[in-house]
Amino acid sequence: MSLNLDTEDDFYLEENRFKQCCAEFIKHSQQIGDGWEWKSIKDFPDGYMSKTHFQMKNGNTPSIFKDSTKESDEQTFTHVEEALDDSQVAGICATSEVIRYEYHVLYSSSYEVPVLYFRACFLDGRPLTLDEIWEGVHECYRARLLEGPWDTITQQEHPLLGQPFFVLHPCRTNEFMAPVLANSQRENRNINYITSWLSIVGPVVGLNLPLSYAKLVSEQNTKTD
Amino acid sequence: MAEVEEQPLPLSPQDSGRGECGEEPPDGGAAVGVAEAAPPSAGSPVTEEPAEDTKKKIDVLLKAVGDTPIMKTKKWSVERTRTIQGLVDFIKKFLKLVASEQLFIYVNQSFAPSPDQEVGTLYECFGSDGKLVLHYCKSQAWG
Repeated sequence: MSLNLDTEDDFYLEENRFKQCCAEFIKHSQQIGDGWEWKSIKDFPDGYMSKTHFQMKNGNTPSIFKDSTKESDEQTFTHVEEALDDSQVAGICATSEVIRYEYHVLYSSSYEVPVLYFRACFLDGRPLTLDEIWEGVHECYRARLLEGPWDTITQQEHPLLGQPFFVLHPCRTNEFMAPVLANSQRENRNINYITSWLSIVGPVVGLNLPLSYAKLVSEQNTKTD
Repeated sequence: MAEVEEQPLPLSPQDSGRGECGEEPPDGGAAVGVAEAAPPSAGSPVTEEPAEDTKKKIDVLLKAVGDTPIMKTKKWSVERTRTIQGLVDFIKKFLKLVASEQLFIYVNQSFAPSPDQEVGTLYECFGSDGKLVLHYCKSQAWG
């Protein structure tokens, strides 16, 4: 991926390498039935990695109901555009509902890093707000999200699909990836950038990678890049 | 000095050098390098210190990545049921990190396990030479 330099600059992920890492990642996903796929868009050279999973919302009254008078008190979020209305609240308070989560991994050529896009909706198509998505996130990660080395979560138009998604902004990705990559390089270990990156950012938005992905990395260490 | 007096210590450090087993026998009868407990003659639990049962604790070696401070005590005996998040909290307190600093733990130097992952499971998957090596790295939060 890069020569023997330790500066942050050299740990950017170039696009072919991105695709290669995704391919390896997906191959393992297929082996364990984890559901990731590569999606390409007709007539576009770009593609992305995608996973959809379904989860039951718990039967408890979510905090969103208690706080229906205020949208969000977390200061790090910007551009959260969805307002709560009564019908949404009433719907949320129904007992267990199925939520469809979608995660997309795209490549950002301006930042030269992968970017995580995600969204969730109820089965009737009603989208979840960020707060509602966080109902399903491990509590320690909610704190981590507020404290984490990533920038805000914003809502943006998916560059290939044109639909609104939440995005974990990539501008600081290189910052937290660099030490891991530098360390591996020093020890002459090949790591899969996507696996490492997703294992770090994923849990923050409710996406946990099975442990076997970590083993994938070590199997590859017998090859040279 | 390695022991924090004012709060219950979830981990216990290993003070003495320990012999390393090449392989762990399937029945777990041989000692897996427990520093403080009685001689490794027992398959039976030693109850003088309940937490010192060899089967319940695994050995963890913590290694710093990047410019993260290095812990003076690197080897710890950790209960199998300790989660990654518990370990993160412990290291953060030990290193006196401020709230705005985030700490990540990696197995295989590259993969961050989920916060509720138990170290016992990680040890079974990634442990070698009788210990689990975990790398930790701090990261500056958005400030």
